[in-house]
Amino acid sequence: MIAALLAPFSIAAGASACGTCGVGDPTLTIVGFAQPKSQRVRASGTVRHRNDRIGQAQVDELRLAEQRMELAGAYSPTDRWTLSLMMPLVHRLVSAVNLAEADIWAPGDLEFRARAVVWRDRKFAPRHLVSLIGGLEFPTSSIERDAEGVPLPLEFQAGTGSWDPIAGASYTMFSDPWSVYVSSIGIFPTKGTADTKVGTSLRQTVLGQFQPWRFLAFQLGAEFRIDQPGYVAGVRDPNTGGHITYGTFGLVGLPHDKVLLHFTAAVPMIQRLDGSHVEGLALTAGLVYEI
Amino acid sequence: MRFSLLIAAMLLSMALLPNCMRVSDGIEVDVAYKPAAMPAAVRTDLGYRVRLERAMIAIGRVELIRCDNFVLDLWNFVTAARAKAHEFSSPTSLGVPLVIDLMESAGVPLFAGTLRPPPGRYCGIRVIGMPADQDAEGLTDENLDMTRNSVVVAGRVEDEAGEDQTALLAQIWEILACEMRFDRPLVFDGPVVESVSIRIDHTKWFDGIDFALQNSTAVQQRIIENVRSSLQAVLPNVEDGL
Repeated sequence: MIAALLAPFSIAAGASACGTCGVGDPTLTIVGFAQPKSQRVRASGTVRHRNDRIGQAQVDELRLAEQRMELAGAYSPTDRWTLSLMMPLVHRLVSAVNLAEADIWAPGDLEFRARAVVWRDRKFAPRHLVSLIGGLEFPTSSIERDAEGVPLPLEFQAGTGSWDPIAGASYTMFSDPWSVYVSSIGIFPTKGTADTKVGTSLRQTVLGQFQPWRFLAFQLGAEFRIDQPGYVAGVRDPNTGGHITYGTFGLVGLPHDKVLLHFTAAVPMIQRLDGSHVEGLALTAGLVYEI
Repeated sequence: MRFSLLIAAMLLSMALLPNCMRVSDGIEVDVAYKPAAMPAAVRTDLGYRVRLERAMIAIGRVELIRCDNFVLDLWNFVTAARAKAHEFSSPTSLGVPLVIDLMESAGVPLFAGTLRPPPGRYCGIRVIGMPADQDAEGLTDENLDMTRNSVVVAGRVEDEAGEDQTALLAQIWEILACEMRFDRPLVFDGPVVESVSIRIDHTKWFDGIDFALQNSTAVQQRIIENVRSSLQAVLPNVEDGL
């Protein structure tokens, strides 16, 4: 398996391309949105911060502050395929109402994704791309427990600890200086270690981008997520499941031909999460490097 | 090529990173029951001598009471009266049912559990006596009747002269909510470990009862009142740290 995972990086030896000019379109795109370009390799580092609250305030509430550092590599063997690997390192500070704290550093779940462009209006500088996405999350995270040995709530785990297939589709439209990205992704967790079963999660993203200058673009969008409930040892975790919609605002900058920076703030707009569960502001900042 | 391999190696090595966890305890309150030492016979305030053969109490829940939240306390009190043991535990309540054999455990502290309350001022503690769950700690084949009763007392009563003996049997099925005030408020504003002992003085359970004149219903009612008043919450002495 390791050899298979390493293969794209070996094949990509010597690949070099300009982040925006190689595909005939000047749109700034972060990994996953772009028209694939044969032999293109991109590496990215992303930091995500989020807050989460579970339980009743002043009674049994647990607060989570999480920073997720993701290191990823993406390789396009042809101008229709992109393969990517992403590994998160997760830092979590879990605070209980009695001021007890658990400060945890742990690896999350390694994620492999393959994206295939199944339809485009033209090969060079396409204006419309339709892609299918498939992938798998590997159970590289472990189940975290509190001081009493009780597993933390599913929402507070670094990963699902299970083999989770991913399937979805996306559509991208380029019309300089505008672009639109729409995707629909499903994650289908299997039974994890420690007898956990995270529910199926469906995630929809709609993103509009305006790029008034070559080096800077603005993004505005919405992310919708709906989750099935999770189970621990066959018992439903009451604070899992439901749906949430975020409004997102982002910036994408190109300080150098090979370096792309991006920043996104996601604000919860509609929360219909089950149980006592409130998600807070989520911030994402990242760097993409064209190798 | 070198750069690509470096990224791949970093990705895979991240997956092999060990977990690192640092846990700091917050506010903790250890709760223990401390039954009074049991003499061979209890002399009541009206002069009767009670020779106990059985004295058992089943406790379903223990809750800390905030000083400054009368409405919440009232709501908790109402909901507690409807609750069943093992229903839930929270940072300010322990829902772990326990059957205490007062004849066996006299003078021996029984650890009830640890409460993990949020910061605040706490002025007392509430103990809910109620019939035990099937999986209550201390429940045995010999005391299965505690699944139907909160308190069971059995023995013999002698009059003051020691001439007349009558059998005593009280089986109380009612839910008994006993609220006790601390002699000083517990003020929590940072991580700390505190302890509370709940003394059970069952030698007072028969005070005020005239066994010769009162019928069994009146005796049982008086025992219920005495059980409530026999519980006392004791904080460790601040000076000696006990």
